[in-house]
Amino acid sequence: MTYSTLRLCSGRAAFEAVPRPKLSLDLGQIRGRLERAGIPVTDARVLLIARMEREVTVARDGRILIKSADAPEAARILARLRSLIDLPA
Amino acid sequence: MLMSGGIDSPVSMYYLLRQGHDLLAVHMDNRPFTDDTPLEKIVDHLRVLGERFERKIPLYVLPHGPTQIELMRNTDRHVGCVLCRRFMWRSAERIAEREHATFLATGESLGQVASQTLSNMRSATASVSLPIVRPLVGFDKQEIEAVAKSIGTYGISTRPGLCCQAVPDRPATRSGLVQILQQEERIDVESLIDDCVRRAVVM
Repeated sequence: MTYSTLRLCSGRAAFEAVPRPKLSLDLGQIRGRLERAGIPVTDARVLLIARMEREVTVARDGRILIKSADAPEAARILARLRSLIDLPA
Repeated sequence: MLMSGGIDSPVSMYYLLRQGHDLLAVHMDNRPFTDDTPLEKIVDHLRVLGERFERKIPLYVLPHGPTQIELMRNTDRHVGCVLCRRFMWRSAERIAEREHATFLATGESLGQVASQTLSNMRSATASVSLPIVRPLVGFDKQEIEAVAKSIGTYGISTRPGLCCQAVPDRPATRSGLVQILQQEERIDVESLIDDCVRRAVVM
């Protein structure tokens, strides 16, 4: 399993990372970790929206969407997110 | 007229303006499930159409994100798009009543996306009583795009923008009204609409 790619989404306004195969994340646990790191989180049950440097959506199946069209910035945010919530490599 | 920032709604508005209708625009602001770009596009669409028809088209912006969160938390994701549309229609109807408008309008065309099958359109629009006008209902995408290019809205619509993050993986293409009403029993529909309309901003 891996997040092997960070690709521009179809609307060209955000980058997305899609795990293969899909995951089944514990969003409650992830929300707790993010909030303990001082990151505000909106919990929509099937996905979380975290207000990091940019808004980041974390879906239960592991899809991550970073609302930035700047590749280096998106990569930085993804790296920080992974360090905070301990996603699989 | 419901405006999304996409290709279709400004074309639909163009036809109604051309017929001489006096319109106001309603945008259901889907943040945080989108970004700022839909609203920016709509402001530009209305500027282009307003210049063409020499009028100012008022824009109501209604916060739809809180409703989306309630739907995602409490209802079956499979019919999420239909439930979402029902809230859009009802909120738009409230604005229409406030403004003494006599009909609702969209850029929908049959079969284009999951929410635009005949079955889902019927389930969605059963929530309102004003007549609904869909100038593009029989158009195909190529026809709509050609008109959009000719009236100067295509380039705006196709600027980078975030797709709706609340769309489920496999949205239902068929829905029954009984099923939809059962889902709505899980949430406080009137309170959500009241709150949404109360927080409307006119631009």
